[in-house]
Amino acid sequence: MSSSRLFKLQAGPAFRYLIPIFCVYAFTVLLPLLISIYYSVRNEGGTEFVGLQNYVALAKDNDFWFSLKNNVIIAFFCVVGQVGIAFLIASFFMTKLLKLEGLHRIAIFLPVVLAPIVTGYLWSLMYNYRLGMLNWLLDLVHIQPVLWLDNPKYVLYSVSVPLIWQYIGLYFIIFLAGMQNISKEVLEASEIDGATWFKKTAYVILPLLKNVMSVALILCITGTLKVFDHIYVMTGGGPGRSSMVMAQYAYNNAFTMSRLSYGSTISIGMLILCALIVLAMSRWIGGGGER
Amino acid sequence: MRRNASFTVKLGYAGTNLFVLLFSLSALFPIVWMLYTSLKTNKEFSLSTMSLPSSPSLVNYSNAFNIGNIGSAIFSSLLNTVIAVPLIIICSFIIGYFFSRIEFKGKQVMVMLFLSGMMIPIHALLVPLFVQFKWMGMLDNRFTLILPYIAFHLPVAIFLFDSFIKGISKEIEEAAYMDGSSFDYMMFRVIFPICLPIMSTVAILSILGTWNEFSFALVLNKSSELFTLPIWLTFFSGQYTTDYTGKIAGLVITSLPIIVMYLFFSNKIMTGMTAGAVKG
Repeated sequence: MSSSRLFKLQAGPAFRYLIPIFCVYAFTVLLPLLISIYYSVRNEGGTEFVGLQNYVALAKDNDFWFSLKNNVIIAFFCVVGQVGIAFLIASFFMTKLLKLEGLHRIAIFLPVVLAPIVTGYLWSLMYNYRLGMLNWLLDLVHIQPVLWLDNPKYVLYSVSVPLIWQYIGLYFIIFLAGMQNISKEVLEASEIDGATWFKKTAYVILPLLKNVMSVALILCITGTLKVFDHIYVMTGGGPGRSSMVMAQYAYNNAFTMSRLSYGSTISIGMLILCALIVLAMSRWIGGGGER
Repeated sequence: MRRNASFTVKLGYAGTNLFVLLFSLSALFPIVWMLYTSLKTNKEFSLSTMSLPSSPSLVNYSNAFNIGNIGSAIFSSLLNTVIAVPLIIICSFIIGYFFSRIEFKGKQVMVMLFLSGMMIPIHALLVPLFVQFKWMGMLDNRFTLILPYIAFHLPVAIFLFDSFIKGISKEIEEAAYMDGSSFDYMMFRVIFPICLPIMSTVAILSILGTWNEFSFALVLNKSSELFTLPIWLTFFSGQYTTDYTGKIAGLVITSLPIIVMYLFFSNKIMTGMTAGAVKG
């Protein structure tokens, strides 16, 4: 109790430290949001106030909803690919059958630290029609080469694979840490009762990892909703608009077409949609946990 | 019966190991391929994509420096990292200390504002920040990127420090206070050194974030002498579209420092990057 007086904030430290740092943060994160709200209610060029006209245009903008749809599809692939495979691999690490665990851990996590842009370029080289590794593999088994990034039919799959490849390690380590927190007695008890790997994973480990799983899902979904670097490097949203995502669409509008106020409107729309999706997700996952 | 059981065990053993081994190789191979392909010439690369270099040469690297002028991009990336990372550590330590130890008016609001920074999809700030910096004439400057890099890394770093400092006994500060140390001395000379473990986590996260950052560097700086390595890569591949091995050498130069750092501190990096998630 005596310490409460000690830890009261004095004016000196507040002005010296707290306020300047907060101002830096407010200047670079909060103020831009306000300015872009201002821009989004003005016409291109900012000469007059147009009210919600930009937002109405956004709501009717087929391309914007199409890019949101792509975001959602990529997020779905990533949830299955990253969270799903990572969980599977992590569960193999709990079988005690595995050799060289440490080396596997280091190898699987390595792509996570690469720059997204390096991953993007590396994979666009591997997707290269004439020189790429994937068509080389297809050639070995005498299959016609594929236009991985230039065919609207495949492009969403093709851009999701590098994302999955890069970030599996992250979720793998998250699950591994979670699984190692499960008490040894519980796992041993299930082994003594004769549970197979599948039963142990599905009925013992998975229910105990519910919280970790929901954190991983939210991380994965928010991460893929804001994907930009990979797409920019590999396709730029193309061919046509077939791999367009929200961030790329905002970028194209603001910087390629110099429509700053509409670009701002897309940014605000993106912010609101992401917030809504995350909110709905955590409601849904949280609600599922209580049942 | 006995033989059957041991057979399944062996099968499971082999299957598990094989599966995970293949998986690890698939994570590793593209990076290994990148490393050895950077030592090939374009001619050799177009003849055979997968083969090891027959006579390894550093010509792509010397081209990157002499023709591509990658030296200036390395300097820009290095400078951004060297300036931003210590500032991120100090600022987030201070805010984390205030949040965990001191009661003040408006603290809840401030905590919420920093927390919401973690929720904002960072690319939603791309256009707004450009608009603001343009308005204030802050674009295209050697130090333009420092401010966003600090601000974007603050939220996570603050909450790492905050939860770490909450675990430090308050008696340490009381003792320091009794000995007559000032607020500044207590914060920087008593508590700051204790935070070393979490400091290194924050340092790693911000080094990775700053070195690898692409979109803001793309938008906020336009002149070529300010290009960071990721921007240099897009510029280079736009200019020399068919110089594949040259581009691969650029990819290696961009990622090698990070890979080396990873090989030395892999455990620290793994725990650091998953710290937020595991804590919930």
